[in-house]
Amino acid sequence: MNPIDPQLPPGDPLVMLGLLASAILFAVGIVGFLSRRNMITMFLCTELMFQGAGLAMISYGRQHMDLSGQVFVIFILTVAAAEAALALGLVVLLYRRKETLSAEAWKELAES
Amino acid sequence: MNLIWASILIPVATAAVIAVANARAARSLAALGSLASLGALAVFAWQFPAWSTGAVFPEPCGCAWLSSINATLGVGFDSVSLLLALLEAFLIPICVIGSWSAISDRQREYYGWFMLLHASILLAFAARDVLLFYVGYEFTLVPLLFIIAIWGGPERRQAAHKLFLYTFLGSLFFLGSILFVGWQHHASTGLWSWDMGTLSTFASARLPANTQFWLFAALLAGFAVKVPLFPVHTWLPLAHNQAPTAGSVILAGTLLKLGTYGIFRLALPMAPEGGAALAVLASVLCTVAVVYAALICWVQTDAKKLVAYSSVSHLGICMLGLFALNPVGAQGSVLYMINHGLSTGALFLLIGMAYERYHVKDMDQIGGLAKRMPVWAFFMVFFTMSSIGLPGLNGFVGEYLCLFGTYIATADASTGYPGLLGPGFALVAGTGLILGAMYMLLLVGRYVFGPLREPKADGHGKHDGSHGHDPHGAGHGHDEGHGDLTGREIGLLVPLALVCLFIGVYPKPMLQAIGPVVERTLAPYPAAVERTLKSQPQAAEAAKAEPKEDDRG
Amino acid sequence: MIAAPAMLSSVLALAEGPLDAHAAPELRWAGLALLLPLISGVLCLLCGWMKVRSKLPAALTIAALGGAFATILRLQGAVGETPVVINLFDWISWTWGDGSRFHGFTANVDLYIDRLTVFWMLFVTGLGTLIALYASEYMESDVGKGYTRFFGAVSIFLFAMGCLVMGGNLVMLYLGWEGVGLASYLLIGYYFTKPEAVAAAKKAFIVNRIGDLGLALALFLIWQCYGTVEYAALWKAIEAAPASSEWTAQAIPWLLMLGAFGKSAQLPLYVWLPDAMEGPTPVSALIHAATMVTAGVYLIARMFPLFIVNPDALAAVAWVGGLTALLAATIGMAQYDMKRIWAYSTISQLGYMFLGLGVGTTFGASYHVFTHAFFKALLFLTAGAVMHGFAGQLDIRKLSGLLKVPGFRLVSLLAVLGCFWLAAFPFTAAFFSKDEILVSAFTAKDERVHVLGWIGLVVAALTAYYTFRVGFRVFFGPVKYEPGDEHHGHDDHQDHGHDHGHAHGSHGASAAHGGHGHHGEFHPHGPRWAIRVPLVLIAVGAMLAGWPSYRTMLNHGEPNWVKTQVAQSSAYQGVAAESHGSHDDHAAAPTAAEGEHAHADHGHLVLGMDAHTAVGRLGSLACIAGILVSLYLHLINRGAADALRRTLMGSIATRWIVVGAERKWLVDEFYDWVIRLPLRLVANILSAIDELLLDAGIVNGIGALPAAFGRLFRPLYGGVVQGYAVTMAGGVALVAAWVIWIWLRGAN
Repeated sequence: MNPIDPQLPPGDPLVMLGLLASAILFAVGIVGFLSRRNMITMFLCTELMFQGAGLAMISYGRQHMDLSGQVFVIFILTVAAAEAALALGLVVLLYRRKETLSAEAWKELAES
Repeated sequence: MNLIWASILIPVATAAVIAVANARAARSLAALGSLASLGALAVFAWQFPAWSTGAVFPEPCGCAWLSSINATLGVGFDSVSLLLALLEAFLIPICVIGSWSAISDRQREYYGWFMLLHASILLAFAARDVLLFYVGYEFTLVPLLFIIAIWGGPERRQAAHKLFLYTFLGSLFFLGSILFVGWQHHASTGLWSWDMGTLSTFASARLPANTQFWLFAALLAGFAVKVPLFPVHTWLPLAHNQAPTAGSVILAGTLLKLGTYGIFRLALPMAPEGGAALAVLASVLCTVAVVYAALICWVQTDAKKLVAYSSVSHLGICMLGLFALNPVGAQGSVLYMINHGLSTGALFLLIGMAYERYHVKDMDQIGGLAKRMPVWAFFMVFFTMSSIGLPGLNGFVGEYLCLFGTYIATADASTGYPGLLGPGFALVAGTGLILGAMYMLLLVGRYVFGPLREPKADGHGKHDGSHGHDPHGAGHGHDEGHGDLTGREIGLLVPLALVCLFIGVYPKPMLQAIGPVVERTLAPYPAAVERTLKSQPQAAEAAKAEPKEDDRG
Repeated sequence: MIAAPAMLSSVLALAEGPLDAHAAPELRWAGLALLLPLISGVLCLLCGWMKVRSKLPAALTIAALGGAFATILRLQGAVGETPVVINLFDWISWTWGDGSRFHGFTANVDLYIDRLTVFWMLFVTGLGTLIALYASEYMESDVGKGYTRFFGAVSIFLFAMGCLVMGGNLVMLYLGWEGVGLASYLLIGYYFTKPEAVAAAKKAFIVNRIGDLGLALALFLIWQCYGTVEYAALWKAIEAAPASSEWTAQAIPWLLMLGAFGKSAQLPLYVWLPDAMEGPTPVSALIHAATMVTAGVYLIARMFPLFIVNPDALAAVAWVGGLTALLAATIGMAQYDMKRIWAYSTISQLGYMFLGLGVGTTFGASYHVFTHAFFKALLFLTAGAVMHGFAGQLDIRKLSGLLKVPGFRLVSLLAVLGCFWLAAFPFTAAFFSKDEILVSAFTAKDERVHVLGWIGLVVAALTAYYTFRVGFRVFFGPVKYEPGDEHHGHDDHQDHGHDHGHAHGSHGASAAHGGHGHHGEFHPHGPRWAIRVPLVLIAVGAMLAGWPSYRTMLNHGEPNWVKTQVAQSSAYQGVAAESHGSHDDHAAAPTAAEGEHAHADHGHLVLGMDAHTAVGRLGSLACIAGILVSLYLHLINRGAADALRRTLMGSIATRWIVVGAERKWLVDEFYDWVIRLPLRLVANILSAIDELLLDAGIVNGIGALPAAFGRLFRPLYGGVVQGYAVTMAGGVALVAAWVIWIWLRGAN
């Protein structure tokens, strides 16, 4: 770590709050993803995790007094938007095939 | 330099053009590309100034490839690698034109892959940078995998997998060893270099004997799979048997030679101490291979499998000549690499031609074809004789010199090159002469001569139900299929036969071209063999005891 | 012409001796003797490709062989007493290191011409030309089919034989050696649709290869000992170290011998020659009787300087020769196929030649080669003419009285003459040559071989018997014959097979059996001029082959011409050694003029007489006795022969003799059971090992390991997305835990 990097002192409340929020978002997302079978819900959960990660980046950006974190997040948001379009398209296609939104209907990759 | 790259890149460009061209034009384009590549190489060979010096020309350039570790795009030939590259460039047009009617589906992919295969083999022979050599050596597997797996026989998938995985595993040893040598060079001099000459000089002079032993062992293990040496040969019969004709030709013709070439070019010069220490063990394997594979050949009923196993036997003799560690054997060995490529390639081509007509290779079902195809029979006998080493044809000179070199590789040889083998090895390997005649004449006697036996004409389509590339799909009556060789096919065989005849009658230019390179390669060996002899008390005693016996006798 | 004093001397280092070769580039035209047959071979190939349907290939071959013969005749005048070396072009030659001795290998396309070479080539090319002429008619039913192939192979044979005899180094000899093997293979297998012919061809090649391996190893060994394989340099090297006692030098003759035994059909490698009779008859005459099979004799004669230093090897040669002669003669007595009988007689006569070499008379051996070449070619060619006329019939039980069949009178007459020569009737050529060999056997310095003289005499009687068994049965007696069931054994030719003879005027159908049903009346057809002329010329040659001995007898003391030829070659030591025991009256060697060996002559008495007289008388006696027995059993009272056979078969004690001889002492079966079948078994086992153990077992087993390992983790991949997600999350958690643990440890 570069010693001349300007840095906030540890324990900045805004940073702490942001990190906490991001952890909660991520945890909610992962639990949701693992416990639900509905593909749209699962997709929403991934979005939650995504935003959690983004929030963490912004918080650390503030900690380091660096705008790169926010730049990244803007990028990620754009990509995520594109991804969402793609993913929802896929979900629609999968639904058409089996008339259900359950992820359990798709097990072709199973070994044995 | 430019001509070398031209000969390598022309096939690549051809492959690119084929990929976008009309499927019907693919074979013509491939023929053109391969001939152009041959032409470029031939012009280079014509101007090649180092035929009699054994030097590398042109000096490999330092043009950067991976600059952080100083890997270069250095290419250059000495007379041995140039001869092998010429063999490759000579065989490829024959393969392409030989596939003219045999391959009818997915022609673009087929010829494209063939061009890439050609380029990578040429790259391997031309490379003077070991990493570049590795790239060429290894990339050959990719086109070959597809060629066998798509256009091969009924068990093509298995054959292709086995070929790929088996030889890939072998290559890991090879890659590991050269990375080790490069790293040692860096550790010792602070510089990265991957030039073959530099690394050979470094490794042979600076690495301790023990390290050289393991280095040689690893390189041998790597290349032995490719050669293939007993007992790591089992991928070969399957691959040969399942490959399409042209694939077999190129596999026997030059791909196997990458293994022998690797031993000649890398293993022997890099680790002379290891080479001397392991020569006996390797020679025992070679000798076993000669007899073992020859006997297996003798009980085969599948013509193609028979010739495939004969490769194992023949390359045993070839490697034995190399491990004689004297100029006679090594000369013979290099010559044998070329001769084996020519005659075995031609035999595969001929079997392929008969297969195209009958779709049967099993000699229990088919035989006496001389009656139907006299011209084919003539060539079959011709190349059989070449393969079993009839003097006056090419096979003789190489085989004979290999055995000769083995014979005189005794501890007290007066040739200036003490060796570790001797009459015993030559005697056992020499039975290969007899066994070779036995199985090759069995092939000729059943397949070519004897009463005519043909599969039933109406069973024409049934025999190849499992392969998806029946060349006689539509518009070819079976009468046409059972005729003698066409002009195109004769045109393929005549150049091969002429080259065989020329090498047999006038091998002097080749011997003089190979000689200096062989001497350079073997330069550290007399001393290394002496050291090995001293370190083996029994051998030394035997060497001392022999003259005493002579006095009594 | 004969430099007698020079070659007499036992001192080897002479200025001008039979071993001092000089280069003679002005004689390069001698290469024509090789080049012409090669060219005609290539032209025949072209004829084959252009589907020539005339006798052009025969004309080409005859012209080329005649040209080669003319070349040799001219060479006969051009080459003096000392050998010459003619370099044609460089073949295998390069050096390493400083290029000194043992640092280079040279085997160029050189010719080494001494009197032995010329002598050998004279009858090879001469007989070759005549037999090619004969074949031009004999093979005419194959015009447009195998005709070009036949003559192409004959041309290649003559080329290879030329390389073998004229080559200037052992590698050239090896080239010729294998080349004649190839020609022999192609010609034995000429009727390639017949399985027996193909099998016979294969057998010949493979058995020969065993000998060739010996030859190849001998070659390596010679280089290892002397640093050269060129004759001229080799003789010099041997002169420098004449009696090398190193085991390597001592092993050379044994290996060379193996090669010679293979090519010349001696024990234990003789089994291919009888089967080789599957080839067309002219081939049997040329290759398997007159020329190729004598290559072994040539090899040993040529390499005699290497044999002379090893008495054990020479004794072995003599014993192998003598035993082969005996064995083959006993088999020959019990066969019924005319060509097979001649084949066994060839083996037997070759045995005589090796006996001669072994007891040290290269002259006797070469002389016997020379005489044998003519009469055996004659016998085969007459047999061929009979076979040609009688639709492939060769069974001596089904042919009788041919002397009286019109169109066959000349052939029969010549065949009977041939029988006299083969039986070594007194004062025929073979009588003299056999005499030389047996005398040398009786008088050899090595006492281990004396008994072979007696064996030789027994064989002489047996030879006379079986020869005239054929002669009396086939050519004398009442006219009676059955045609064979095929025409030339070629299943191709049935369309124009049996009525072929109608074109000719000479129908001797006096007592012909009704032919084989659908073919109607059988008419044997006599040969025309292209068969008759060579037959007569060869018969004249056979008669003249005795000429050297007649001259010696008439002009007392004049040296035998053949002896002078052999004496001026690398085989001269054989002549000198032989003259120790020879009688001056009979066959005066050039050496005899000096009289320095006179004291040795009476050292060897046979039955109280000197060797020559005794052998002459005993040999005549044996011959006449054999003929008389044959006369009774096979002409006067033919029933007696069958009765005798029945009697012998009746008793257990004697049954084995008949069965053994008729079944060739079961040697083929023995080889089959002891060598071929076990080898085949081993090969099958190895094949199974390779496929099941090595490939399917070890290689595929190792290949299966990763899959087995992967199977352990299968439960992790249930296919549900959440399952994968849990795994992933678990992995991430593990990594995180690890990082934290590291961090905590670092903090402490």
